[in-house]
Amino acid sequence: MSQTANAALRIERLRFGYDGTPILQDIDVAVAEGEFLALLGPSGSGKSTLLRLIAGLESPGSGRVLAAGRPVAGPGTDRAVVFQNYALFPWMRVVDNVAEAVRKAKPTLGWPAARTQAAGHLNRVGLTGIADKYPFELSGGMQQRAAIARALALESPFLLMDEPFGALDPVNRARLQDLLIEVWQRRTPRPTVVFVTHDVDEALLLADRVAVLGASPGRIIAGFDVPFERPRRRAALFGDHRFHELREAIAEALDADTLARLDAA
Amino acid sequence: MTTETSILDAALGDTGAIARHAAEPNAAASRPVPFAWEPWLLWLILLGLWQGIATLIAGQGNPLLPPPTVVFDALWLSLPELLTGTWSSLLILAPGFALAVAAGVGLGLLAGTSPRLGRALFPFAKVAAPVPPTVYIPYAIAVLPTFHLSATFVVFVGAFWPVFQNTVAGAHAVEGRHRDNARVLGFSGFEYLHKVVFPASLPHIFSGMAVGLGFGFILLTVAELFGANAGLGRFVQYYADFGDYPRMVAGILYTGVVTWAAMSVLDRARERALFWLR
Ligand SMILES: Nc1ncnc2c1ncn2[C@@H]1O[C@H](COP(=O)(O)OP(=O)(O)OP(=O)(O)O)[C@@H](O)[C@H]1O
Ligand SMILES: [Mg+2]
Repeated sequence: MSQTANAALRIERLRFGYDGTPILQDIDVAVAEGEFLALLGPSGSGKSTLLRLIAGLESPGSGRVLAAGRPVAGPGTDRAVVFQNYALFPWMRVVDNVAEAVRKAKPTLGWPAARTQAAGHLNRVGLTGIADKYPFELSGGMQQRAAIARALALESPFLLMDEPFGALDPVNRARLQDLLIEVWQRRTPRPTVVFVTHDVDEALLLADRVAVLGASPGRIIAGFDVPFERPRRRAALFGDHRFHELREAIAEALDADTLARLDAA
Repeated sequence: MTTETSILDAALGDTGAIARHAAEPNAAASRPVPFAWEPWLLWLILLGLWQGIATLIAGQGNPLLPPPTVVFDALWLSLPELLTGTWSSLLILAPGFALAVAAGVGLGLLAGTSPRLGRALFPFAKVAAPVPPTVYIPYAIAVLPTFHLSATFVVFVGAFWPVFQNTVAGAHAVEGRHRDNARVLGFSGFEYLHKVVFPASLPHIFSGMAVGLGFGFILLTVAELFGANAGLGRFVQYYADFGDYPRMVAGILYTGVVTWAAMSVLDRARERALFWLR
């Protein structure tokens, strides 16, 4: 675990609730610069809520979130977010959706130049020739690629992703997983990633570290380092005994949490 | 593109109509729309009924319902006068409606996104909006210097409230994910208004405009009964005073056609503006 004092992202004794109902309790997390952290947990454990707190879309009840050493006081373009539901603006061309982000990263750029760069970002996620289309003309997988392109266009040091591939078919999901790792590794410095998923295999394929959330209220019940060399290949992972041990350990942590809740009920 | 669904469907809350309209540009481009004979059948039946009843009444020496042929003759003869009247009416309707849309959308977006402005405006709107705008007509005519100005003002008031209220509803209905995205992208307040809230509210805005346009026509024709010397409502009123029923009915039919045409234009504008809706 990299609980270094100068972590890029640090969450300290965070508590959060909606209307008095505690949702998150005693969350302490530190993520090193350039690290890829997966947040894993059952439905309703508060993964999305935690990500929204990091994004600054919600404010903590108590405790705090520090990004690059500064307390998060609201959303900022230093923390790009990819939501689960391909949230492009449907009334804007795909290229303009991305160009909005380009303009935020480079405010001095004019629109034509921003569009050109946006098209470049789209090419990099494998979207060519669709820049002038509208989101509704794209498949779900293509829309999610565009959403990733838009997040990358912000060129922000943090990348927050909430089950970004949850609604995709297995083939598209695998492609986008590879794409994400590729662009994450190519960027210097590497962005710090917080990636929410409830797919254990996805977490082990992508992340440097996995934090497991338990439910009611949400809190971190376990953390695991993911030791596999990059580039990772799925077939190799499935043949690695450590992969199965990790999987088992994570499943056990989740089961223990579920059982504890059933006992309490 | 046959559009059996009118913009009124949206005004009446038929959201399916919006979806159908939005789907059309693609669908219509790829395959021809089959000929729909049902509407024509209804027109034929209505025309037949009209002719039948008119003949029956005329046999008893009653002039109240002239037969279609007579009315169409009257329509043909009055066409120059009706066209001038249309122009005169449009000079009232168009500026009144345009101002109502501009003010209603602008204020609606602001009041719908700024809680403070909303708190200030909504109590007033609750009281002022339900007042039937027809009651303003005599006062407007008495107070404002010209009839044209008074009528324009009344059309404005009548069309403003539906546009305003629907725009507010649209601004309140902006999806959370669009709001989140705007915040995450660091949009300024103004960017949020014109790049997110305005387009997201367009379905509501067009519903408000349809209702507003309908009100506009009603107020226009009613106002013309009071003091106009030209115009559609004035035409019907004028020949009513002479008991010229063929021209009256012709004027009513003609006004119907003009209203329908205006609604169709708005309908087309909505189809084009909301192509991205599915
Ligand atoms: N806006 C809200 N108002 C009230 N309660 C909320 C709100 N959003 C989430 N919650 C509650 O907070 C808890 C955590 O929700 P959250 O969406 O963070 O879970 P999650 O781990 O992301 O679940 P999933 O895997 O299903 O996405 C849930 O019990 C949910 O009901
Ligand atoms: Mg979630």
